[in-house]
Amino acid sequence: MNATLNTFAIRIIKEQELVIGPLAWSEARKVPGLQVIDEKKGEVNLQDDDPKGIIDKLVAQYERIFGKASHAVCHDAVQDLLASMSPDQVPSSLK
Amino acid sequence: MADTNQNTPIDPGEYKKVTEAMYKQNLELARLYKEVDSLNHQRESLMHLINHKVKGAFTHSKYIFAGLLDGTFGEVSPEVKKFAEQGLESDNMGIATINLFLNAANMQKGLIKYDMKKIDFQDLVIKSLEEKKVGAESKGLALESNIKDGNYMVTGDKIWLKEVLNNLLENAIKYSVKGKIEVNLENKDNKILLSVKDTGIGITEEDKKKLFTEGGRGKDSVKVNIDSTGYGLYTVKLIIEAHKGRVWAESEGPGKGSTFFMELDAI
Repeated sequence: MNATLNTFAIRIIKEQELVIGPLAWSEARKVPGLQVIDEKKGEVNLQDDDPKGIIDKLVAQYERIFGKASHAVCHDAVQDLLASMSPDQVPSSLK
Repeated sequence: MADTNQNTPIDPGEYKKVTEAMYKQNLELARLYKEVDSLNHQRESLMHLINHKVKGAFTHSKYIFAGLLDGTFGEVSPEVKKFAEQGLESDNMGIATINLFLNAANMQKGLIKYDMKKIDFQDLVIKSLEEKKVGAESKGLALESNIKDGNYMVTGDKIWLKEVLNNLLENAIKYSVKGKIEVNLENKDNKILLSVKDTGIGITEEDKKKLFTEGGRGKDSVKVNIDSTGYGLYTVKLIIEAHKGRVWAESEGPGKGSTFFMELDAI
């Protein structure tokens, strides 16, 4: 489960990177519980206690600055993965 | 006195609006980038298919036709021989067209390594003229040349510059039904200027814009040259640009012939 949410975080950051460039990584670094291990390799780590909450915070971090359009970008980045997850596994911001 | 913008505090609401608008613009650019990237991938796989499958098929049948002609498969009737000759010619043309297309794509990607050496451009021009003379005369076209005395040494790749000359001369021959082709070579202020003037179909103003672009055929070009690919002059442009030169065309209009110019720095 954590691995899937890790993929969520990476996909979201990389998709945002396409739009806003390196700023996507600096904003991701500000999210509590999300640790950027290697920006170039695209490696992050989510703290174990509440990975779904971290994804919600990441989505909110972008939305707070860039508005609703950025929320849609986060959703699009993981859309194919959402289809194979049970609703309780999906972070509320992406439902 | 009006306040300057520099001293006006930015309203947070306005700031957010601008940031969001910029994000949307960037998002549109990112979408376009993805589309281009996807088209590039499609193109790559198409090139792979052309190189390996289509060219392979042409090469395979080429050797069958060649085998029929050189007796590999035993004695064949004159009728079969005639068909084999036609098939071989058609395959050679197909392979040449594919090579032209692949070369242009490789040049675009910077995969062509130019062997830049000090060479005499005049020698290349003379050699190309000799080679194309028969083709021009078989169409009833005179191939005239005027090479002025001067220094024609350039830094360039012999093979690719020859490709440029072949292309310009072949075009002049293909697109001229009657008349003559005049080739002029001169050194003007240390710039080597070659011009190839024909009495062919000419170029419209509209066609001039796409003449040296990828796949950019003239509107009526296929009426005269059914094998026109739109990659010949594009390749010429890429090669000349790699030699830091210039290539352009002039024409007084349809039916009034064309003159193609290329310019290189003399050394």
